[in-house]
Amino acid sequence: MEKQCAAMERWRLGSLPDPAPLAAAYIPMQEGAEPRYVPQEALSRGTLFPGLDLPFLHVVNPDLEQTPMTEMMAIDFVADELELYLDTHPGDTEIFALYQTILAMQKEARDRMVRLCGPICQTDQLGMERYAWLEAPWPWEYRKRGEG
Amino acid sequence: MFVYEKKLQFPVKIANPNPKLAKIIISQVGGPDGELGASMRYLNQRYSMPYDELKGLLTDIGTEELGHMEMVAAIIHQLTRKMSTEEILRSGLDAYFVDHTAGVYPTAASGFPWSAASMAVKGDVLADLNEDLAAEQKARVTYDNILRLSDDPDVNQVIRYLREREIVHYQRFGEGLRLAMEKMDQKNLYAVNPSFDR
Repeated sequence: MEKQCAAMERWRLGSLPDPAPLAAAYIPMQEGAEPRYVPQEALSRGTLFPGLDLPFLHVVNPDLEQTPMTEMMAIDFVADELELYLDTHPGDTEIFALYQTILAMQKEARDRMVRLCGPICQTDQLGMERYAWLEAPWPWEYRKRGEG
Repeated sequence: MFVYEKKLQFPVKIANPNPKLAKIIISQVGGPDGELGASMRYLNQRYSMPYDELKGLLTDIGTEELGHMEMVAAIIHQLTRKMSTEEILRSGLDAYFVDHTAGVYPTAASGFPWSAASMAVKGDVLADLNEDLAAEQKARVTYDNILRLSDDPDVNQVIRYLREREIVHYQRFGEGLRLAMEKMDQKNLYAVNPSFDR
């Protein structure tokens, strides 16, 4: 029974080495990248992985407003999370395939944002008619909800 | 080489200015467990890391921390906009204001300016990774404490996000430590320092 529970809860439990040398700290390895939140939920919670989602006093963030900016942020965030996962799981071919899909979605979301709001990187200005880097507001400036 | 992206990792939209809150949150810009120290710790530890997984992890987490420093600075900037002199005096931000006006200066909430003494680069795989694990926990606790003291929902949303990132980074550094130890002498992890002894 206990063993069965452990198998079902595998996404929130990881493995320790066997045997483990003494006088060393051990963090269990995250075993696989399932289950995962959808991108918008991952961004609002601060992790792609429910197994690592451990909120203070169990208080969870409300959903973020859906704008082209938060949609792009959500895809960018999934890419960031997968990169850190792949740094310590470089042989996980399944997740590398997912990373490929996310990179394609990221390019699409980026291109849409650049068309709507101007360059995110200086190099996004390839083919633009004038120097547009200074036009869109800077990220730290206050803008109301719904405004970019 | 670093390239700037004109966006934040997570939206910062603080509707109500609140200099009193800025006075404590500034610690996560320039305090002992803040984001400036985090990025400097990881980006500078990279050079003595002998293993590719760790070079990658320190580069990627160190870069993300630079983005977090910008997010916390954005919170400070938005909390301190349109302050009256009366609000500055009443909030207790006056001691900060006299030196920095409404600029963002990396300091601890206590007023102690950011110091490289709050971080470590030991040049040893095990020592540096254990430092990083502790650093993520200390930053997590600072965010816990901010959540205890703040009742601004706009601020807390960002703080909860940043706090959760500390937990994810802790896990990744732990996995990085595991990968490093697997490459070392299992019978005596302390026989040599693979960062230095080749």
